[in-house]
Amino acid sequence: MPSASALRLQIEHTLERRFPAAFSPVPRTISETATTGIPEVDRLLDGGLPVGAISEITGPVSSGRTSLALAYLAARTHEDCVCAWVDASDAFDSESAAANGVALRQLLWVRCKNRGSQRQVLVDGVVKNPSPTDKPWARLDQALRATDLLLQAGGFSALVLDLGSTAPEHSARIPLATWFRFRQAADRTRCSLLVLAQQPVAQSSAAVVLECAHLNAQSPSQTVLAGCEYQVRTGRVASAAKTLHLAGQRKPPGSVWSATAAAQRSAAAQREVSA
Amino acid sequence: MVGNCRGPEKRRGPERGKRMSPELYACVYVGEFPAQALLRLNPELATQPVAVLDGRPPLQTVCSLNRLARLTGASLGMTRLEAESIYGLRLIARSPETEAAARAVLFESAAQFSPRLEDVSQQTACSCVLDIAGTERLFGPPETLARNLRAALATAGFHASFAVSANFHTARLKAAAARGITVIPPQQESAALGKLPLAVLGLAEDPAETFAIWGIRTLAELAALPESDLVARLGPQAVDWRKLALGTHSHAFQPIEADFSLEEFCAFETPVEQIDSLLFIGARMIDCLATRASARALSLASLIVEMQLESGHAYQRTIRPALATIDRKFLLKLLQLEIAAHPPQAAVLSLTLSAQAGQSSKVQLGLFAPQTPEPSRLDVTIARLKAIAGDDRVGSPVLEDTHRPGSFRMESFSIANPSSAGKLGESEPAHPRMALRRVRPPAPVRVQLDTLRPVAFRDPEQCFKVAAAYGPWRTSGCWWSTEAWNTEEWDVLAESSGGASVACLLVRDCTRNQWQLEAFYD
Repeated sequence: MPSASALRLQIEHTLERRFPAAFSPVPRTISETATTGIPEVDRLLDGGLPVGAISEITGPVSSGRTSLALAYLAARTHEDCVCAWVDASDAFDSESAAANGVALRQLLWVRCKNRGSQRQVLVDGVVKNPSPTDKPWARLDQALRATDLLLQAGGFSALVLDLGSTAPEHSARIPLATWFRFRQAADRTRCSLLVLAQQPVAQSSAAVVLECAHLNAQSPSQTVLAGCEYQVRTGRVASAAKTLHLAGQRKPPGSVWSATAAAQRSAAAQREVSA
Repeated sequence: MVGNCRGPEKRRGPERGKRMSPELYACVYVGEFPAQALLRLNPELATQPVAVLDGRPPLQTVCSLNRLARLTGASLGMTRLEAESIYGLRLIARSPETEAAARAVLFESAAQFSPRLEDVSQQTACSCVLDIAGTERLFGPPETLARNLRAALATAGFHASFAVSANFHTARLKAAAARGITVIPPQQESAALGKLPLAVLGLAEDPAETFAIWGIRTLAELAALPESDLVARLGPQAVDWRKLALGTHSHAFQPIEADFSLEEFCAFETPVEQIDSLLFIGARMIDCLATRASARALSLASLIVEMQLESGHAYQRTIRPALATIDRKFLLKLLQLEIAAHPPQAAVLSLTLSAQAGQSSKVQLGLFAPQTPEPSRLDVTIARLKAIAGDDRVGSPVLEDTHRPGSFRMESFSIANPSSAGKLGESEPAHPRMALRRVRPPAPVRVQLDTLRPVAFRDPEQCFKVAAAYGPWRTSGCWWSTEAWNTEEWDVLAESSGGASVACLLVRDCTRNQWQLEAFYD
């Protein structure tokens, strides 16, 4: 009498053309995550942002996107990893990065060119370009090419593509093929690609979409802006575990975290005294 | 030394009993050096008849030419007009700089086989004699050494003839007269030189005419003359000529120090405008530099590109890879990206590529170390990024030692031992702090004040009502210079007419009394 394993092999061999590995379970890949540096967000994401995938951090201005990205970079650079920031609108503030604990020597900053007299303006909390003839295609093109180069080069643990000041109607015109290529490259080089944008742009290529929102300001003494509270929601999670986790819930889970400005203000106070 | 050599001599058997000659010289003779120096970096010209012109126009004459040029009927001493009448003959002006660079390369290549080297160049030939006594154990017998030397020089772009002899002048005369490799056994110098014409001695006009009248045309015939009679008729210098003909003339070796400078020079026949043409020559130069550096177990730490432009200006760029390397493709790619990012503003007359030697770098990767970009690949990536965004817009930000808000400078990005950087640098990531998103350049806004506090502001598009304003935070500095600043900062929570709330940083320039939107809190 043939053994069970022999029977299994025989059946698998017979059905090989129609059902490859019919009885062999599909290996479940464990998605690697990296901490964001903010415990509340880590709890929301069950560990952190996925490694080797695209994560989108979206929201309007003053919703905490940049603070969240800097916290993530601070955690990465603290682990001696090398990171990059592709700045489509030249909005990166190195003082804020240093205050958040980012090791600037391990950060490659690519500042895309601002050609002409491009001026950002706010319209209903959304950064827009003032003139229809003054469009940021050159900067977007530079940002995408720089991101492509850095992803293909490999070795960067985290890469932030900052489209936070780019108008949504412009960033939405980035072809899906670009995001697909970025996803493949990020997966191959194990690089976490964070996309800061006002609205989701990577669509199905994004493993995680975080929606940020401004909650309220903290000012106990009414004289100093001590900090802000931000709300983060997972807009979309691509991994299977996340899908199961979210099943049955009408609304995606949310999290509230706060960022303080005390250190900056104290530094400013010192400056005032010294001046 | 004899005792040390005894063992191997016994094993060789047939060579037992032979004594190593105390003196042994190898002469390298590169004929038509002006032409070879120009052609070694232009391989495409090697298949064409080329003649090199020397002198001031219009009195230029042919001073050197290659083999194909001789086949077309060209000869040394031709005037430019005569040379131009030969169909297909390519005429190039002589370049002393190119010859000097080529001579340095030649001597350096030869010095790989013996550090004792004497320059015996004459006229348009570049020649040197190596003292190779005692090198047999390192480089094998003289034939093998000569073959290896020929291969090394061929790699550097030279075609040379070689002669090895125990007598200095015998080697020199034979190398100038014979092609290929000639090894003259000891005591056979006279026979080896016998058939050479008397002209190889470079005699003055009078004695040469006297010998011609006597019917003396070869060195063998000169050597056969009695010494005393020769001295009686031609003077004491005749003894030297006879000794040269016999191969017994002694020589006090005067070694030179071959300078090790990694430099290649090429003057173009016509001004070059296309980058591809420059790179074609540059690739050949990099090849030569890398070969010379690797012969000394060194690498290229930096490349300095210098060009003389048609407009009279000089062009200079420096390429510094993160790690010293001899990877030719990688260096050529960096050169291409550098020239493409900073193209010369006029046609190029000459190209000089010099390099600084560095120790070959080895990077020890840790088993548990995080991934970092490969240094050579990162160099190319950063060069490409600079070509996209600009030179000063790619790098690592470094905070300036000043109280001026938002001051920083860009430094080139490099991966310098991340483990130590992490320990020396920032401490544990702190609690997240509100980050700023700078508006560069700051946007001017109109602010409405109430008791000196902003209550509303507007940019070119819309109005914002200030919900809360925290400040002012006054800073000033550098009052003694033109970089002075005097500002008043306000942290503002505002609400647009559409209901969106923002947190931003408004700054009033107290000097000019202007309000600007400096940054957003995000």
